[in-house]
Amino acid sequence: MKAAPSKTAETILGILIPPACREEVLGDLHERYAGPVRYFGDALSAVPCVIVSRIRRTTDPQVLLMEAFALYLSFVGVARISGQSSILYEPWGLLRLAIPTAVTLIALVLADAYADPAKRSPIKPMVQTAFCIGLAFLSQATFWATDPDLAVPLRIMLYGAGISLVLVSALRVFFPKDDNRPRGAT
Amino acid sequence: MAKPPSVGQFEQLVLTAVLTLKEDAYGVTIHEKVGELARPKSISLGAVYVTLDRLEDKGLVSSWLSEPTAERGGRAKRCYRMEALGERALQESTATAQRIFDALVQALGKEGARQWGKRWGKEASG
Repeated sequence: MKAAPSKTAETILGILIPPACREEVLGDLHERYAGPVRYFGDALSAVPCVIVSRIRRTTDPQVLLMEAFALYLSFVGVARISGQSSILYEPWGLLRLAIPTAVTLIALVLADAYADPAKRSPIKPMVQTAFCIGLAFLSQATFWATDPDLAVPLRIMLYGAGISLVLVSALRVFFPKDDNRPRGAT
Repeated sequence: MAKPPSVGQFEQLVLTAVLTLKEDAYGVTIHEKVGELARPKSISLGAVYVTLDRLEDKGLVSSWLSEPTAERGGRAKRCYRMEALGERALQESTATAQRIFDALVQALGKEGARQWGKRWGKEASG
């Protein structure tokens, strides 16, 4: 009987590999299995590359730039009109406002890469954006608990997140991700 | 007729592997073939995946999922096939390599070019 990788190792790799290429990559690693050391080496060489390749395929730099602009503008705009414009003139104030923007953008990029192309829904852009903004809130909660000087005031976060949700969802509806490249018969 | 995009050296190796393996071109076999072609350099499996994705985006190869097999733990293979654009890109690369060799033959003579190639091969493997 041919030796096979452990179920635990395959489960962990299955979580790390984006769903769009999970089947073939796990199958290739299984076929090449010749012991745990080689399996680990193969996985270490293949998994980061397939994640990066998937991010490259699912990320449109122009749309990402528009999303970054929409997110940052939402937080800066709310800070300006909500009577808390002092944050804009504080040292590192603009950088503090960039933290939720950066967290949301990273989450959006990863959410696109790990999205299952087989599962489609018209509300997906909004749900995905809401989830990613939720992660930005989580990062802010960590700052509020550990280093409040780095945190963005709650009011700016709440209104900024609301406006971001509308703008980014709209961008995602108007510029849908092109993850359906032509493959032969699938 | 669309002009084929230019391809790098590693892309040429992967295209050659896909062309020569025909119906049996998928991740594991392509990696083995590219390893043979790129000797003495060792090639990582990840580099092959990234290159196959890029070649597919350029329209040089296409892919499809085969039936799952027991030897792969019940998982399918992603098989690759060379597209007409890919064949033309590889032909252009081969023609360029031939022109380089011809220029060497002209400059060093046929035997000199062969010796030069062998010496380079030994240095690369050493």
